[in-house]
Formats: sequence, C-alpha cells, structure tokens
Amino acid sequence: MSDPISRLGGSTARRLSRLGALARFGFGALRSLGTLPAAGRAVALRVTLNQIRFTAADAVGLVVLLSGILSFLVISQAVRELGQLGATDFIGTLIVVAIVRELGPLITALTVAGRSGTAIAAELATNRVLGEVRALEAMGIDPRQYLVLPRFVGSLVSVFVLLVVFDLVAVGAGFAAARFNGMVAGRYFEIVLQSLALKDVWLTVAKAVTFGLIVGLVPAYFGLAVRGAPTEIPVATSRATVTSIVGIFLCSALFVVIA
Amino acid sequence: MTAPLAIEGVPIGGGGRRDAVPLTVTVPAHQAVALLGDEDSGLGRLGGYALGLEPPPAGHVTVFDTIIADLPERERLAVRRRVGYLPAGEGLLQNLSLRDNVALPLRFGSEASPREIEGRVNVMLVAARVTAAAGLRPAQATEEERRRAAFARALAFDPALLILEQPFDGLTARTSAELLELARGGETAEGARRTILITGHELPPGLHHRVERVFRVTRAGALELEAV
Repeated sequence: MSDPISRLGGSTARRLSRLGALARFGFGALRSLGTLPAAGRAVALRVTLNQIRFTAADAVGLVVLLSGILSFLVISQAVRELGQLGATDFIGTLIVVAIVRELGPLITALTVAGRSGTAIAAELATNRVLGEVRALEAMGIDPRQYLVLPRFVGSLVSVFVLLVVFDLVAVGAGFAAARFNGMVAGRYFEIVLQSLALKDVWLTVAKAVTFGLIVGLVPAYFGLAVRGAPTEIPVATSRATVTSIVGIFLCSALFVVIA
Repeated sequence: MTAPLAIEGVPIGGGGRRDAVPLTVTVPAHQAVALLGDEDSGLGRLGGYALGLEPPPAGHVTVFDTIIADLPERERLAVRRRVGYLPAGEGLLQNLSLRDNVALPLRFGSEASPREIEGRVNVMLVAARVTAAAGLRPAQATEEERRRAAFARALAFDPALLILEQPFDGLTARTSAELLELARGGETAEGARRTILITGHELPPGLHHRVERVFRVTRAGALELEAV
C-alpha cells in the first residue's frame, strides 16, 4: 500500500528538487550579470542580439502566419454564427480574451519553445559534449555569463516582441475576417476597444515575461546538464522541449486561476 | 619556496578508483615537468583536479598553495585565470574565430579596455604564429593552427603556471619545439619563466632536453623518472 504512495512522494520530491535547481540556475545566471566586465558585456550583448535575430526576427513570418490564420478562422466563424443570434458584439470579447490574452501568449511561447528552445538546448549540450563548457570554466569564465545570460535575455525579449506581433496581426486578421463577412469597419474596432481592459494588457505582459523566462531558462538548464556523451544531446533536447511546453501550459492555467 | 603545483596522493589509474596507486608529484617553480602514460593511465584527469573542475577521488592537488575546488565560486574563477590551461582536443569554441577564441578569456576575465585586449590578442597571435589564420573558425583551420591558437589562448593572461594536456599530439617535432619555447616564455636565472606541467602519451623527439623532468606512469600506476 505504501509503495505507490512513496513512489508518488519520491517523484514529487524529485520534481520539486528540479524546480529548485532550475530556480537557482536562473538566479545564478542573473547574478552573474553583476560581475560581467565591460568587454564581456559587449560580447554578451552581441550574442544576445544574435539570439534575438534568430528567435524573434527570423520567426516573425511564422508567427504572422499562425496568428493571421487562427484569427481569420475564428472571427469568420464567429461573425457568421453570432450574427445569426444578433450577438456580434461578443466578437470583441473573443478577440481580446480568447486570442489576445489566452491563445496569443500560449501559441507564441509554444512556437518559440519548439523553434528556439530546442536549438538552445541542442547548442549548449553540444558545447558541453565538445568540452567547450569545461574549457570556459578552466579559463576562469563563468559559462552562465557567456552561454546562458544572452540566450535568457534574448528569449525574454523575443517572446515579448513576437507576442506584440501576434496580437497586432490577430486584431488585423480579425478585422479582415469581419469585413469579409459583411461587418462595418468602424463597428469592429469599436467592439474590440470596448472589450479591451487594462487587465488584459498587464496579463499579456506578465505572460510574455513568464513564458520568456521558461523558454530561455529551461532549455539552457537541460542543455548544460548533459555530462558528456553525444547520445545525451537528443535526450536533453527532448526533455527541455517537453518541460518547457508543460511549464507554459501550467503557468497559463495558473494565470487563469489568479487573474 | 613552495611548488606552484603539487599533486599529493591522488589515485589516477584504474578509472580514478580510490584504491588505485596514489600519485604524488610536485612541479617546482620555473621547471617544465612531463607526466607520460598510456591512454588509460588517468593522466587526462589531472588538469581537471588541479583547476577544481572535478574533485579527485582521494588526496589533493594544490595550485599556488590553494586547493581550487575548496574556494567559493568567484575566487575559484579568479585563481583559474592565473593558470594557463590547454585541454586535450584544444577546447576552442567552434562558433568563434581563432582570434575571438584568444580574446575570450581577456574579455570575460579582465577589466582591460577593448583596445588593450585587441593589442594583447595581436601580440599572442604573432607569438604563436597564427595571425594569418586568425579569422578562421576552428573547423576551417588545420590542426596545427588550432593548436597554435589554443596555446595563444592559454597564454593570454601571461600565467606563471601552465597545464598542457597532450599539447604536441599530431604536431611535427619542429612545431612542438617552437610551441614549447613559447610556453616556457624565455629563460630566467632559475630556469623557464613559467612553470609547466605537460601530460600526454609521449614527448616528441628533441623535446626532452627542454623539459627538466619527465616521469612515466607505469601500468601499475607507479611513477618512474625517465633519464633526461
């Protein structure tokens, strides 16, 4: 009888311990910023900008596509169905609550986790396997300063930027869908703005920061946790992606509960 | 004067088992000491033990009278900057040019200005005779160019102590001799300007007379002094 309970307890303890290790890893990375010399800051900034280019700039097309299609489909259907009931005013709520506040952050974070999180985990795991992380440590360089911090900040900025792009495109595609289904242009923006509250803005920002933290830290943590065998790279990448996705969904649910 | 590097009672053979024959050896100041052994001799772990990258199974390794692994993190990093380290396989970062690899420890480990760093990097690239290949990534460079860049990086802080792992593997005797002279950093009344520990399988012919002591780790794990 006690076996399943102790197994459950053991598994929960392991997960909590990993969460603690992840938090320590994140704080350590942030704290390392304080000891970064000026020349190192310039290098870290260059790596960060490179990370933003890959994570945000190169992903804009994908986010525009996903956001545009999603919003166009949802609003087209909604205008038709709600129009029959004379309840087209609910389109504003649909755009703001369902797409901008809930699906926007979720889909953006999942896109970045799938596209860049895997790349970060694989890259850092390869750094570890090739002995580059060991070489950095041996030279007296904190690997978190050169490898983790730029990717962490890059992911944070990228998720935020992509989320803004996602939301703008969603509203634009929603407008196109509404017009396509016969709604007057002024009416669409009127009901969208009526539905938008300050709470939606801070919730979206809070989600962007939280998901950016997850997408930046979790893959770096799993990538650097590799001990040295090349066979560990795909395992680390897979674990990083799954953990990021689970984390994003759990936090998304948590936001619904607290907001 | 105490030795800059002292290895005391560290079992290295038999996969680093605690019951392996413990190794005790000191590297006196201004001397180059070579420890040679087979692939499975465990000598490749000594650099990691000395720099506190991993703890030895028993015994201890002191660097400048300090056990690096026992220090708090920031101090550990600071002491490591006083030691030049050339790991087996060079450990160059693949996404950086050879020039940026040489500059990396200076950029992250010193408060020098970009101009000073650039100057120091140029000096090191010229000294290691790798200026022509400085813009190449490690994968684009030859083994000799990579090794020269790795030497330049290990010497970037002009360290008093150098730990070189398999530094001459795959190089010609002439290049090896040239790089050993670069590592020694000139001569003083006491001997070489730097203290050097070399680990590897063999020393190229012609280098023995420039290394003050050469030890060989036997299959049983014992240390034998070779005639130099």
